[in-house]
Amino acid sequence: MQQIHFTINGLPCAAEEGMSILQAAKANGIEIPNLCNDESVRVYGACGLCAVEVTDDGRGKPVPKLLRACSAKVMEGYAVRLDTDRVNRSRKIALELLMSDHTGDCRGPCQLNCPAGTDCQGYVRRIAEGDFRGAVEIIKQKIPLPAAIGRVCPHPCEQNCRRGLVEQPISIAFLKAHAADRDLAGDTYCPEAAPRSGKRVAVVGGGPGGLTAAYYLYIKGHDVTVYDAAAKMGGMLRYGIPAYRLPKDLLDREIAEIEALGVTMKNNVRLGADITLEQLRADYDAVILATGAWSSMKMRCPGEELAGVTGGIQFLHDISSGEGDVPDLRGKKVAVCGGGNTAMDACRTAIRCGAETIYVIYRRTRGEMPAEDIEIEESIEEGVTYKFLTNPAEILGENGHVKQIRLQIMELGEPDASGRRAPQPVEGKFELLDVDLVIMAIGQRLDPAGLDGIELTKKGTIAADESTFRTNLDNVYAIGDATNRGASIAIEAIGEAGRCAAVVDSALRGQMKPYRAPYYSKKTVTAADLADREKQPRCQMPVRPAAERARDFAPVYLGFDDETVRKEAKRCLECGCHDYTDCKLIRYANMHVIQPERFGGVRHEAEKERRLVCIERDSGKCILCGLCVRICDEDAKQGILGLVGRGFPTAVKPEFQNPETVAVCMTCGKCAAACPTGALKWLK
Amino acid sequence: MSIRIAVGKGSCGIAAGAAKVSEALAPLLAGSGIPLGTVGCIGMCWLEPIVDLYDGDALKARLVQVKPEDAPRIADAAKNGDFSSISDLIITDDDAAFLQKQTRIALRNCGIIDPDSIESAKAAGAYTAISHILRDGVTPEDVIACIKISGLAGRGGAGFPTWFKWNAARQSPGEEKYLICNADEGDPGAFMDRAVIESDPHTLIEGMLIGAYAIGAQEAIVYVRAEYPLAIKRLERAIGEARAAGYIGKNIMDTDFSCEFRIKAGAGAFVCGEETALIESLQGQRGMPRLKPPFPAAAGYWYKPSNINNVETYANVAWILNNGGEAFAAMGTEDSKGTKVFALTGKIRRGGLVEIPMGMTLRDVIFDIGGGIRGGKAFKAVQMGGPSGGCIPAELLDTVIDYKKLAATGAIMGSGGMVVMDESTCMVSMAKFFLDFTAKESCGKCIHCRIGTKRLQEILTRIVEGRGREGDIELLEELCNAVRDGALCGLGQTAPNPVLSTLRYFRDEFEAHITEKRCPAHTCTDLLHYEIHADKCRGCTACARKCPVQAISGTVKQPHVIDQSKCIRCGQCIATCKFDAITVE
Repeated sequence: MQQIHFTINGLPCAAEEGMSILQAAKANGIEIPNLCNDESVRVYGACGLCAVEVTDDGRGKPVPKLLRACSAKVMEGYAVRLDTDRVNRSRKIALELLMSDHTGDCRGPCQLNCPAGTDCQGYVRRIAEGDFRGAVEIIKQKIPLPAAIGRVCPHPCEQNCRRGLVEQPISIAFLKAHAADRDLAGDTYCPEAAPRSGKRVAVVGGGPGGLTAAYYLYIKGHDVTVYDAAAKMGGMLRYGIPAYRLPKDLLDREIAEIEALGVTMKNNVRLGADITLEQLRADYDAVILATGAWSSMKMRCPGEELAGVTGGIQFLHDISSGEGDVPDLRGKKVAVCGGGNTAMDACRTAIRCGAETIYVIYRRTRGEMPAEDIEIEESIEEGVTYKFLTNPAEILGENGHVKQIRLQIMELGEPDASGRRAPQPVEGKFELLDVDLVIMAIGQRLDPAGLDGIELTKKGTIAADESTFRTNLDNVYAIGDATNRGASIAIEAIGEAGRCAAVVDSALRGQMKPYRAPYYSKKTVTAADLADREKQPRCQMPVRPAAERARDFAPVYLGFDDETVRKEAKRCLECGCHDYTDCKLIRYANMHVIQPERFGGVRHEAEKERRLVCIERDSGKCILCGLCVRICDEDAKQGILGLVGRGFPTAVKPEFQNPETVAVCMTCGKCAAACPTGALKWLK
Repeated sequence: MSIRIAVGKGSCGIAAGAAKVSEALAPLLAGSGIPLGTVGCIGMCWLEPIVDLYDGDALKARLVQVKPEDAPRIADAAKNGDFSSISDLIITDDDAAFLQKQTRIALRNCGIIDPDSIESAKAAGAYTAISHILRDGVTPEDVIACIKISGLAGRGGAGFPTWFKWNAARQSPGEEKYLICNADEGDPGAFMDRAVIESDPHTLIEGMLIGAYAIGAQEAIVYVRAEYPLAIKRLERAIGEARAAGYIGKNIMDTDFSCEFRIKAGAGAFVCGEETALIESLQGQRGMPRLKPPFPAAAGYWYKPSNINNVETYANVAWILNNGGEAFAAMGTEDSKGTKVFALTGKIRRGGLVEIPMGMTLRDVIFDIGGGIRGGKAFKAVQMGGPSGGCIPAELLDTVIDYKKLAATGAIMGSGGMVVMDESTCMVSMAKFFLDFTAKESCGKCIHCRIGTKRLQEILTRIVEGRGREGDIELLEELCNAVRDGALCGLGQTAPNPVLSTLRYFRDEFEAHITEKRCPAHTCTDLLHYEIHADKCRGCTACARKCPVQAISGTVKQPHVIDQSKCIRCGQCIATCKFDAITVE
């Protein structure tokens, strides 16, 4: 065979004469996107994704039309380009058109709603199979602290779980915690780190965000040092979350795993006091600020300066840090102002410190409380008294110490911008409570000390770019509670940290790749669509009795056993596409910024059928590449499948739409294996 | 004088009542010695049924729009040779000029010979060219050279040089080769091929025999759409007669040349007019195009070297061999040689088949031959090339008919469909009509065509229904260009043409629909607004009684009003009003 010389994107290549451009590119290690091509069947040319431009036909002239690389033969002297505007436009619009007629969920709502994008369905499935290690491997692609997060996360995944449309959501967070506990108890999974790059990164702040950034950057090959002002790592997980929710030894073990991986950890180093940003920038190739938001917001009501008034975070921190003993609140009356999770942690901690009466002062009603419902429920069981529709008007003191709190009675008015009904004072109506301690848990903000030269937002947070996490200073990035919109839940910071690590890695390797949210195909599912599902109630987590647990800081939850965990995991509806990781369509779709919605229009009816005994066919995901039809005919020599109809309604059906034809299917599975999307699922 | 009568019985003539005229004449002529014959279609659709009175080969009188009740006086006139009693039926000079301005090569025998008689065809010269070739040792190379000199290009639409395809098929290695005729005429408004097969099947057979000889094919196949039953019937009969006469079969005219013929009836998919889809269909597969290359000349029917031309192309071949390539090339322009048949339809006064030399202008064809617009309205545009073509506006009427010149306007020569539109045609609706067609006829194989034409159709639909959005024009353009660039076959690649060319010449109409929610041609019903003007309304109640949905109310002798929420915009009120009191905007 004669060798032919040509170029692809300017790179010199050689191939045998008679090869298609697609084959020749492959022989030279270059992938040309295609959806309908397979070596085992004749060239078909349906998808057009392999279109290439030949800018020189070997005789100095361009080929005017785009060529389908699957069929066009490569010629001596060809200059083939895969990267021109015309090629990209053509491929992009083909993908947009395909996606405008694609009905399916790439990923389940659990993963799509996880701020870190954790593959919940993936690990839940591993857990159902009893493969706890496999589950942890999946979790740790996004969360390096799963035992902790499994316990503290308000789990947006569960709130959006479609099992909730049937009866109750899957207990995703507890499943994660269980898998992580099992992993910590045995031979703990530790991913392999890439060869060292020689680059050095400083992370300021050892909370969930900082530790996550450090973990992934280390795995990607960079040497990382985490600095933290506190005596121990963990940030809010350690100092903001009470031990009854997250035992400190568990956190210690997870952090120890990160240290064991190779991350250097330096405690008792405060930015601005012990080390300057200037110094870090000089010593490291990149600096990531993950300092968090540690100052409690003020109520701006008279009396806030009195002794016995403290911030929620401050209160929790003082107890957790062991700076001073656990305060003795026996016989004391405590008022916690606020309706979020910090307020819950504060009131339940106060109970455990022996307080006699605990009020939660909240200006709206229970329905509007941002705290998790189970927390409210359990706090009531433990003896907390709720004062809904009240707002502190004044804190009254005696000898400089809190004595009473005067509450303004509120009522709900019209819904505000957040959709919640805005509380309004009822003129002249007040209530007076005797209190010894007032805890303000109405929000946190950043303490900007040490952030010299860093640009802040109007809210006083660090201004960081949404897709690159860059601050105004070169090579300084920022993530988590300290940035932009301010404090949020741990998993938000972890998600940002993971994305930031990828950006910093790309920057350290010479070409920064900003984060771009991946494109996913999504479909709408209602309770009616799931009406035929068998009801399987959620497994109930065993809880210690309220009277007992309210007296100590031991865990509230007793944990599941393996059997229960597997049973619970098996409830998963597996909403996400079984073929996501192998799907060529979604991979190509994400090579471009596609906007299929601009074409809108009607879609094929999406129906799942199991007409062929061993294959489930989801017509909503079929792209009509014809591979199954052709492979069944040309390779398997069965000819069972055919294309039916013309134009847009064309569909793959058993040939001549005759159900009897399928009886001869020899269940070779070649069609399902060849399907470039998740339209065919092998059931055996 | 020996009079004979010929009734034009192409499908169009029969549809107009020619068979009944013929049935009425037959008993009246029985025993008179006056033969009553059948001819095909002369191409003057608006004058059907047509009865010709011949004296030998000389046409004595052409009677038009004949009714069965005219039969007695026609029979009498034929018998006594006095045509004065039928002078009212004789074609006017004005109408007769329709034929006189044409140059007929492909249609040379259409409407003149009896399609069911090989003798009639032979009397007109059929089979002289193939006889000469086989008897006088003309080589296949000589034949191809002659076609090359003629400059004959594919008349199916693409205009590819015929000699090149023949030569490529001839040069392709292999003993087994096929010659195929594409008679899957699918463009809305095109009927050239049907007329040729129905009127002069032997000319097609002879052209195909010459082609088969030239490329070395042993089998010739005519792929005719099943919607042409009369064409199939006449072609079947002609093949039988030609076989009996020794022109088809083994060792034709005692030479080494053997060629079998057969007909394949297509099931009616437009895409099967695309040559590779046609081949798939011939093989019994689903009609979906193949990727090219390889071209059919290298790997066609059963992946053997094959040549495909359309009916009109083959219909020119025998003439070229008889008269020489130079004679054919003497007609036309630098780029386009010979003649072209067009099917003139739409809002034209004289609709029918015309064959004219290349190089005439569109104005010549539409106004001189076609007589301009029917009903005194203004010419707006002509759609050339059907769903694959484009429109040409009034200001470009002097465009010369030539492959390159037409392509420069954004339209194409195409297979010869010429749909004439007047001022009452909405160009957006027109583009939508063609997209409805191509979207429905897409085979579903490639993404760009299957989904792209569907999306184009959806966008056009919302525009004509008054739901157009800002940015739709740009979206249409982007999508059109992508479909043109990315579709697999000619159907998809050319499907955007009607949109692109109407956008090019009538962009303001799109804008009026989208931004003003107004249809300038007053045809998009969703955008119409009927109104009764109180100053003109006499309260006669005629419109209120006519309105099918009781949308008009009012008391007698008082101005009436239309309830817009009930109005279905049928326009019957306007037609009914005697006082011009109702207007539409």
